[in-house]
Amino acid sequence: MSDRRMATFLAVAGMAFCAVAAAQAQAPYKAPRTLDGKPDLQGIWMTRNAASFDVSEVAEGRQIPYLADALAREEKGDRVDPIAHCSMPGVPRITYMPFPIQILQRPGYVVFLYEYQHDHRIVQTNSRPHLEDIDFYLGDSVGHWEGDTLVIDVTNLSDKTWLDSARHTHSDQLHVIERYTRTGPDTIAYEATIEDPKTYSRPWKIAMPLHRITEPGFEMREQECIEGDSGRAIHMPYRPAPKD
Amino acid sequence: MILALTLIFAAFAVAQTPYVPQRTPEGFPDLEGVWQPQQNGAMFSVLPHKPGFLLGAGSKTGIVEGGVLPYQPWAAELVKYRLDHMEMDPTGHCHYEGIPHAMYFPFQIFQTADEIAVVHENMHAYRIIHMKGKHPPDYLEWMGDSRGHWEGNTLVVDVANNNDKSTFDMAGHFHSDALHVVERFTPIDRDNIAYDVLLEDRKVFTRPVKMHFSFKRAPASFQIMEAGCFEGERDQVHFTDTVKLSEHYDHELNSDHNTGKKDTKAGASGK
Repeated sequence: MSDRRMATFLAVAGMAFCAVAAAQAQAPYKAPRTLDGKPDLQGIWMTRNAASFDVSEVAEGRQIPYLADALAREEKGDRVDPIAHCSMPGVPRITYMPFPIQILQRPGYVVFLYEYQHDHRIVQTNSRPHLEDIDFYLGDSVGHWEGDTLVIDVTNLSDKTWLDSARHTHSDQLHVIERYTRTGPDTIAYEATIEDPKTYSRPWKIAMPLHRITEPGFEMREQECIEGDSGRAIHMPYRPAPKD
Repeated sequence: MILALTLIFAAFAVAQTPYVPQRTPEGFPDLEGVWQPQQNGAMFSVLPHKPGFLLGAGSKTGIVEGGVLPYQPWAAELVKYRLDHMEMDPTGHCHYEGIPHAMYFPFQIFQTADEIAVVHENMHAYRIIHMKGKHPPDYLEWMGDSRGHWEGNTLVVDVANNNDKSTFDMAGHFHSDALHVVERFTPIDRDNIAYDVLLEDRKVFTRPVKMHFSFKRAPASFQIMEAGCFEGERDQVHFTDTVKLSEHYDHELNSDHNTGKKDTKAGASGK
């Protein structure tokens, strides 16, 4: 084989190798399974972003499609982030609070234990009907599996929570569809579709990864919000109030 | 006579045959489910108390073995003081109850090999019982740090790292940060778990204390929902400033401190 042919051979072989490697990289990650054969989402996870301060950071197109009268309603509304009063942050905000989240799975259940304010969500994966005539800060969550993705439909949300500290609000018509998909040993892709016909002109999406906390021996700790009730002083809204 | 003895022995043998609980897929005794505590009014007082005490139904037995908490004299005085100062009750401020106090309220158990999660409705509390590892040093929590192991079919949980802020009930019965709790969860049949607690607190008690009650399986339709205790944060003034309770009452009910709006209703009532 001449030097030139050798070079061509190596180049082709190299390209073929790269193509195989690329195909492998693009093949969907196959998550390990729980004992009942579902993708295993268990572990302690956390987001790494500032969405809790301004959710538009993680919004598709960085836009929140507000209706005009909803913006007007928001301008006249409360000025202090509700979590300053230690109320639960709502869904999806609880996911991107900068605190660890432990996920446990049992047959028929996915349980989210949030370190933030010791909030929790018990999600049945049986596609049961939503509850009627009752609102919750964290809503009524009903799950099901679509292939390897856990889909949670969240309704019965109240209008008392904000999406972030930047006073992005919603009404009690908020409907959130969350999708959790393992994308690697230490990552879950989190996506939420946010609908609220009284607030937004169309459904919009946020997306972010959840990262596994890999520190050996890491355990959830207790986080009690209302201790001393000094939170209010440090939770001032940073969008200025409208002038009268 | 022999027949009678035989019958007695037979009855004894039946009573002594331990219930063998179902196993989880991982092979451990299965405690999963929604459980309702049969707590004899312990949320009001762990000791025997009359009907109407704190609006409860009363209890002739309470949950404390012997019906007495062996407080040291100074601590017994403080119990009386606390009973007259309900604003000191942390549950009135929506705080975690601690262990065993939280166990007087319904919960759901989720069990993996390494962790058992006890998820409560009340105070939207939860606790993770770690089946491995040790208590962390120098770290106090309202719910303490729970480390469990199995003794036969009994789940034994050692609870340390308790702070001195949580209480045993609403009747002023308190503990110090020396509190050490050992809980024993023993399934006695498919639908009942015996719950036996050993409390030690050398700073406030003169001897260890035992408590006993049980958990009954809730009907299948029951689910743990959300309890947002701190909603509106308007109760707190009733606890922190009881002397001026009457002055604050209208104002707190009708004003909205979020917006800083003028309190028109209170104004209309002549304030």
